Amino acid sequence: MKLTIDRADLMRALSHVQSVVERRNTIPILANVRMDAENGMLTLTATDMDLEMKESVAADVQTEGAITAPAHTFHDIVRKLPDDSKVDLTLEPGGSMMTVTAGRSQFKLSCLPVSDFPELGSTDMEITLAIPANDLRELIDRTRFAMSNDETRYYLNGIYFHAADANGVAVLRAVATDGHRLAQFEMPLPEGGVDMPGVIIPRKAVAEIRKLVEEAADTISIQLSENKIRFEFDHIVMTSKLIDGTFPDYQKVIPQGNDKIVEIDPKIFTSAIDRVSTISNEKTRAVKLAINGGTMTLSAQSPDAGSATEDIEISNDNTDLEIGFNSRYLLDITAQIESDGCRLTLADAGGPTIIQDTSDSSSLYVLMPLRV
Amino acid sequence: MTIIRQLPDNLVNQIAAGEVIENPAAAIKELVENSIDAGAGCISVTLRQAGKSLMVIEDDGIGMSSDDLKLCLSRHATSKMLDDDLLNIGSLGFRGEALPSIASVSRLEIQSRAQGEGDAWIITAKAGAIADISPSSIRQGTRITVKDLFYATPARLKFLKSDQAEMMIIKETLNRLAMAYPDIEMRCEHDDKKTFHYRSETLLERISSVMGRDFQSNAMPIESEVEGVRLSGFASLPTYSRGNARAQYLFVNGRPVKDKLLMGVLRGAYMDVLPRDRYPLVALFVDLEQTEVDVNVHPAKSEVRFKKPMIIRNLIFHGIQNALREHAKTSAGLLPNQTVHFQTKIAQAPKVNYALPEMDFKPQARIAEETQIFPIVDEVESNDITPDYPLGSALAQFHENYIVSQTKDGIVIVDQHAAHERLVYERMKDNYAQSGVKKQILLVPEIVNLSQDHVLMILEHQSLLNDVGVVLEAFGEGAIIVREVPAILADRLNIQDMIKNLADEVEDIGTVDRVTEKINYLLATMACHGSVRSGRRLNQSEMNELLRQMEETPLSGQCNHGRPTMISLSLDDVEKLFKRR
Repeated sequence: MKLTIDRADLMRALSHVQSVVERRNTIPILANVRMDAENGMLTLTATDMDLEMKESVAADVQTEGAITAPAHTFHDIVRKLPDDSKVDLTLEPGGSMMTVTAGRSQFKLSCLPVSDFPELGSTDMEITLAIPANDLRELIDRTRFAMSNDETRYYLNGIYFHAADANGVAVLRAVATDGHRLAQFEMPLPEGGVDMPGVIIPRKAVAEIRKLVEEAADTISIQLSENKIRFEFDHIVMTSKLIDGTFPDYQKVIPQGNDKIVEIDPKIFTSAIDRVSTISNEKTRAVKLAINGGTMTLSAQSPDAGSATEDIEISNDNTDLEIGFNSRYLLDITAQIESDGCRLTLADAGGPTIIQDTSDSSSLYVLMPLRV
Repeated sequence: MTIIRQLPDNLVNQIAAGEVIENPAAAIKELVENSIDAGAGCISVTLRQAGKSLMVIEDDGIGMSSDDLKLCLSRHATSKMLDDDLLNIGSLGFRGEALPSIASVSRLEIQSRAQGEGDAWIITAKAGAIADISPSSIRQGTRITVKDLFYATPARLKFLKSDQAEMMIIKETLNRLAMAYPDIEMRCEHDDKKTFHYRSETLLERISSVMGRDFQSNAMPIESEVEGVRLSGFASLPTYSRGNARAQYLFVNGRPVKDKLLMGVLRGAYMDVLPRDRYPLVALFVDLEQTEVDVNVHPAKSEVRFKKPMIIRNLIFHGIQNALREHAKTSAGLLPNQTVHFQTKIAQAPKVNYALPEMDFKPQARIAEETQIFPIVDEVESNDITPDYPLGSALAQFHENYIVSQTKDGIVIVDQHAAHERLVYERMKDNYAQSGVKKQILLVPEIVNLSQDHVLMILEHQSLLNDVGVVLEAFGEGAIIVREVPAILADRLNIQDMIKNLADEVEDIGTVDRVTEKINYLLATMACHGSVRSGRRLNQSEMNELLRQMEETPLSGQCNHGRPTMISLSLDDVEKLFKRR
């Protein structure tokens, strides 16, 4: 293998794929990035056995070939090369060393053969749908904060994507929950999504695709099979295993009979919660909301630090209620509301509360109160 | 033709022996208890092959007359139980089962001379066949010789453990009795070697003879009484603990018993001062009305049943907590074996002193205060000030972690990080208790599958769990549904694991302290981050403030991990180090 490539092109692709590589590995080859040079393209591949990232860039390939080299070291080297340099990659005879040359710098990296490199991405995918990059970004952003970290409930360690029916309209819906709160966001179902199965996309894949979406062109193609999902755009292909589990019947925890409705300006609400919770215990972060006519009084107390109260104006049809929440959970949700109206739909101090954007029905959040 | 027949007496005795006399230790226990009940002042035990081939138990008690001797080998014949009331048992033995049981499985010989009588008598039995009595010659008291134990029941013989293992059990058994009766002199010899010899001594001395001499200087006396139940005995300071729970003894009305209640209560009482895997050493004596406790539960009488176990529980718990609180305010003493350790440290000290670059006086305003350290030392030498505070007034800080303070009769060295960590931790616990338990209600209640037994056991503690923030209910057969969890743990709690461990805890020791332990552990971690680290320089008033706070804070003698936060060295100790005494 022998090729020449622009440092900037190599750097961009390498940054994308190397972030999949774990810092510590028990299987040595997983620390490596695979390079395939053919037809004027260099294809970089990295994997952790659950997630595979593949990106191709144009290169001047003099001799075709393939090899794997330590991903983080290679990435660090390329990162430190001068901006506009040309990089030569040459596989030494014998195949155990790759020479990286740029200007007057030369590095020799020890390599492992490609035959040992695990392949993840070659399965056939039955379902294909195309989704605007912006929509995918929103599906993720609106829900990812509610994913669970509890390894024992592995089926909650991701976002549940599935086709659903919202009042007669077919939608693609994303749901995440950690057992204390739930976040849901939906968009019109893209073409080809009718037959899609419900899938749970794991946390790491969510984080990686979210980073890539920033640089994405207009549309991202999503392909699905029983146990894998593949995102494809430009020259990037990301394939991830899905979480093998059943997402709980989340519809059951979304309350239907809540009848007390309160509307607040989310910006005022957010900053009031933020201010008041300065006082509360750093682990519990409890705030109390006392709703009385047109006023909501937020309060927090701690025997150590003292107490805080703040009144804010709300529009309210005669609700009288006191309810406690974890302020961090509350802030996670209010941060998602971009319009100038936030609606709380409550039942009582012990039941789930629904929080929504008044001018956007595509997102919905459910939060369990704290008993204070 | 009948198929049911009455078993012969001999067989009945062998069956009974199987229950009462499980191993040599059980036989020895029965015989030594007889000696104790006979009012002996000195008991000696001589063994060969861990009692398998020979055991001789000799005492100077009231002895038996010739008539008594004839009767003592028949079943259910006893000198005890004078008022025939099984609910009111004042002696160690009461069933009259031991001697006939031992006699039925061995070659037995009893020599005795009753108090005030001139003649001694001997009676022998082989595998239960009793020979006539004949005259003998010993001093007042009784000598029982058991040869070839279990020779009549070869099956039992085969299942005995090695001599060494049986001897361990015997020693443990004798030690328990020895602690219960410190005024009785006890000797034990095995294969011509002395196993132990306890002279008549005080309770604390006897316990220390058994548990090790260091116990004496690290024990706190426990005394309390509630509703006619008296608790006494000794428990170790938290800084003196073991890796297993073997040195935890409970005596009820002078009878050594095993009770799982003890381990649970001790863990609860020491929860904040000992890590989970360390165990205190204790010997506790509960004395109560005979009618409040049933000792006739277990063939070997090693278990008892209390009428009101909760009272006993609370008595022990609070007795120990009070002692801990009292002792935490005084400081942990210097162990004898640490004195040596200390001497070597002192020898190195000067070298390090010169190498301390931080001792340079920096041109700072605060320095004026720090230089005060030295004048104070001068004053002290002329005995001008005698600090009245228990922890004295701070003299200096060395190695940026240790505070030296002079007290009325010595010095105290304080580990500033450990001490401050405890202070912060106690304050956090206070705050947590004050602000009330906040509970995160679960969006999806968690269902935990357990055995139905575990479910019922956990449900018994439902309201206690509710108080610490765990709200749960039964969920059909063999499952529990958890609806709310303590908010402080909400985002790091594995509910399944917690409930399962809780079930084990309830089953093992009957408590549900695990949730509180988890919360305290979290608070302790926060306290560790929120406290003055080692390496931080403290000025005089900061050091004194720390000492004053320690005096006010309960349990300030140990850090959260059970290490001492301070060491006190009396003037005597210091003078000994310099060979002035």
